[in-house]
Amino acid sequence: MISYLLDPFDSPFMQRALVQALLLAVIGAVVSVFVVLRRLAFVSDVLTHTVFPGVVLGFLVAGDGGIVWGALLFAVLSAALITLLSARAAVTEDASMAIVLTGFFAVGVILVSRRSSYTADLTAFLFGRILTVDTGQIVTTAVLGGVVLLTLGLLGKELVFRAFDPTGAEARGYRVLVLDLVLNLAVALVVVAAVRAVGTVLVIALLVVPGAAGRLLSDRLAGILVAAVGVAALAGWLGLVASWQASVNHGVRLASGATVVLVLVVLYALAAAVAAVRSRRPAAVPQAVR
Amino acid sequence: MGVSDEVLLRFDAASLAYGRARVVTDVTGEVRAGQAVALIGPNGAGKSTLLRAVLGLVDVVGGRIEVLGRAPVRARRDVAYVPQVDTLDAQFPVSVGQVVLMGRYREVGWLRRPGAADRAVAAAALAAVGLADRTRDRFGTLSGGQRQRVLLARAIAQRPRLLLLDEPFNGVDAVSQQALLDALDGLRRDGAAVVISTHDLALAHVACDEVCLLNRHQVAFGPTGATLTPELLRAAYGGQALELRGDDPTDAVIVAR
Repeated sequence: MISYLLDPFDSPFMQRALVQALLLAVIGAVVSVFVVLRRLAFVSDVLTHTVFPGVVLGFLVAGDGGIVWGALLFAVLSAALITLLSARAAVTEDASMAIVLTGFFAVGVILVSRRSSYTADLTAFLFGRILTVDTGQIVTTAVLGGVVLLTLGLLGKELVFRAFDPTGAEARGYRVLVLDLVLNLAVALVVVAAVRAVGTVLVIALLVVPGAAGRLLSDRLAGILVAAVGVAALAGWLGLVASWQASVNHGVRLASGATVVLVLVVLYALAAAVAAVRSRRPAAVPQAVR
Repeated sequence: MGVSDEVLLRFDAASLAYGRARVVTDVTGEVRAGQAVALIGPNGAGKSTLLRAVLGLVDVVGGRIEVLGRAPVRARRDVAYVPQVDTLDAQFPVSVGQVVLMGRYREVGWLRRPGAADRAVAAAALAAVGLADRTRDRFGTLSGGQRQRVLLARAIAQRPRLLLLDEPFNGVDAVSQQALLDALDGLRRDGAAVVISTHDLALAHVACDEVCLLNRHQVAFGPTGATLTPELLRAAYGGQALELRGDDPTDAVIVAR
């Protein structure tokens, strides 16, 4: 059994894929806790799509090396735009977001459709190729992840305060718009970090599912963080094992990035089952009536 | 309760607006150290808006509001705000102790963690509202009245000169109501001023020295006994929306029609 789980990582390309998956798991899981607390799943989905034209533009201008820079540029721009729209939407917030999502995504599709290898490029950008990541891409992910984790670590108490009681935070003099921009930038940077490995579409799973699973398993912030990172890391590892074993030993080709996401969703379902069983246990004396 | 001459909050013909829409006009009055003032008026009268203006979160488009002699935005460190408890997510994964510590965050500063001294202040604040033994409990497991007390403890931990409370007695049981009143008395004894938005006329009589009657404009501002008269209450609420039992205004029942 142990060898079944470890053998796939004998080859260097699988080792790199595992390191990349674990890095993304940690970064994505920490950000996802804030995404879930703030109920920003849709905003995160918008950001995954608005980064897409940057990915394509970066690739068209500078090839593989331009992808991260293009994504980074559009990540910053779209995080700022979405933060402003959330605060001052001309119509309803969700309608504004949907317009931005579709508008940016359409630009990306138009740009990529001008290439002869349209279908292959589109697939790579949308769904990633985790098995082809190189050391340079891992370093980029680590640097972006370090920036995100450091920022959230340093501003964690303010971000939690804002998530819990936005009016109270504002009353204490915090600029809520700035805190929102920080979190949206963190989400956008996770998208940039994950572009090559899982693509701009599947990354939404990393930004929502670990935090949601953690929320099911714990009602303490620290517990949620630990559970989210654990679930995401386990999904990264088991997902790569499943895709490798299926392809090599069973002749069934499974896309690695999508398999990781699928395992993540399965783990979420297990967490939901655990939470459901727990909730059926006889309750202790309610503390509210002590 | 000892009320000093020091004016902590001054309204001078203040008019407030959201964008171009004026929502409250011509509020004039003063709140002194040690004093408690009730904001009373129907839903939509502008009570919460007035509290938000004192915090510098709503534009003052006419007249002036001064907090401790400063513009509201420059006085935020000395002003604490207690929101309505039902505006917060009871499922949010945060402990009672963490909520109270939020009252220290501005003093702690950016990029730092609260220290032992901040935790001691937070613990004392929680004790002041009678919930010292609940610090590790999750906020959402407490009753509505207890959660309201935790929010008051958060405000006390801030050590404010001026405390603003938005409908703090809504849906609060008698035990929590008394605990809230005791804690507010303690703050006033220490020289803080308290402004309470409420519908509860009887509580205004018990807990407040003065009353500001509002209905998108100031109907009256003065001592509680002299201001909560049937005539002025009818002027604030509209005659058909207020039922009085006998002549006692504390027996008034506000009826939404």
